Amino acid sequence: MARVLSLCMMALLAALAGHAAAADAIDPGSDFKAFRDYFIKRFPDVPLDDFVNGPYSMDADLRKQWQAIDDFPPYDFAVDRGKAMFATPFKSGKSYGDCFENKGIGIRQNYPYFDEATGKVVTLELALNRCREANGEEPYSYVKDEMASLTAYMAFTSRGKRFDIRIPSDPRALAAYQKGEEYFYTRRGQLNFSCASCHVQNPGNHIRTEVLAPALGILAAMPIYRSEWNGMGTISRRFVTCNSQVRGVPLAPQDELYRDVEYFLTYMGNGLPVAGPGARP
Amino acid sequence: MMMRRLVAITAVTLATATAALAAASEADFKVALAAAEAAEKDAGALKNRWTVTEDALAAARKAAAAGDFDAAVAGAKKAEALAQASIAQAKEQQEAWRDAVVR
Amino acid sequence: MRLLQNLRRTATICACIAGTLTFAETATAQAPDMPGQALAFDRAKGNCLTCHDIKGGDAPGNVGPPLADMKKRFPDRNALAAIVFDETRRNPLSVMPPFGRNLILTREEIESVVDFLYTR
Repeated sequence: MARVLSLCMMALLAALAGHAAAADAIDPGSDFKAFRDYFIKRFPDVPLDDFVNGPYSMDADLRKQWQAIDDFPPYDFAVDRGKAMFATPFKSGKSYGDCFENKGIGIRQNYPYFDEATGKVVTLELALNRCREANGEEPYSYVKDEMASLTAYMAFTSRGKRFDIRIPSDPRALAAYQKGEEYFYTRRGQLNFSCASCHVQNPGNHIRTEVLAPALGILAAMPIYRSEWNGMGTISRRFVTCNSQVRGVPLAPQDELYRDVEYFLTYMGNGLPVAGPGARP
Repeated sequence: MMMRRLVAITAVTLATATAALAAASEADFKVALAAAEAAEKDAGALKNRWTVTEDALAAARKAAAAGDFDAAVAGAKKAEALAQASIAQAKEQQEAWRDAVVR
Repeated sequence: MRLLQNLRRTATICACIAGTLTFAETATAQAPDMPGQALAFDRAKGNCLTCHDIKGGDAPGNVGPPLADMKKRFPDRNALAAIVFDETRRNPLSVMPPFGRNLILTREEIESVVDFLYTR
């Protein structure tokens, strides 16, 4: 009798625990499928790979303007500069290639990754500055041209490779993914916009004369040469400016939360090709 | 009799109006600023400070530095209201964000 | 003679009271500095053209519907003002900024914008 009762208790507890786990379960794979299907369904005439071209995939006129400048891409100088930086040793005698697999060539598609040793997300920009610091050099600003040149070169050598962001079944990785997801969908700033307000709810629509890019693959072409900025912009720069545009005080570049957002957003674009560096209006 | 009543009414009206318009002092500003800064600190803890709140705080401090405490107090109160609105937004969004997720 | 003096005195006092009350009132509720159209088109204020096509504005966005036939479509002035104040109350996923709730526009400015919209 007592044994039956305790077995019943165990079954009940197991059932409850199972239910609680299901309710809280973070399922990136399911989110990924839903996210991708949403954009495919909304834009049935856009080939999947084309989403990485942002507003150009949404607007034919804009695309024509873009194709007109593609013979002399405005980011060429940044790629050349990045290549030269890669070829220049640090004070320590080592160079950027020594910090990365395959000498840093053709690896853009693996970033960001979850570092199980530290329990944090590592982005390409962060990895580059860590490389510098490990070799006795001062870190670069995340929002200025040196970082943009380095990431432009690394993206360029990886063009066409498919994004392959991994989320290990480590509760810390799942938590980082979910923090990024939460940030992406949370309204902020006096203007009350979330990232999703523009890039999930209104891709292809215009705000004044600007065409909004779809969130699917939105980081695939980074860093970008932005005509409006008359210069290059890193992922960090873009996150910071988006925040201030909605009248929210930005986080510091490469804040842990921004890295989580990049983790979530890049994962949502898995399978799409590296298209950086890019050009935007 | 009527005259005396009229004078009384005028006096009360003037007193009320004057109280509403009484020049703010530096002490008034310090109180208002402290309240605004406390609210903005809470907004910061929620990672949801607004740029306009920071601008309002800066403008209030500038007015105080110039000795215009009426403007400074008004500015600080505006900043506090903005900070409170940003806190309300962050708190509501703690659960509301889930409704926007693509599923 | 005495009556005339009293009347004159009363009139002066009444004028003073009226003036003081008006002054006190405007110290709290501010009439907008800008007329409705200017408020609607200014990027730092309503910035309505970012999302809405409105007659008289250039290069509008299309995130929201065009704002035309407003008097016909929104005969209830309060309903229109409520949309500008906080459209998320009607539609929780609306991307329209809550101009009133988030203190982007004052109540008086919202009324002024509504006046303008009623001319479109």
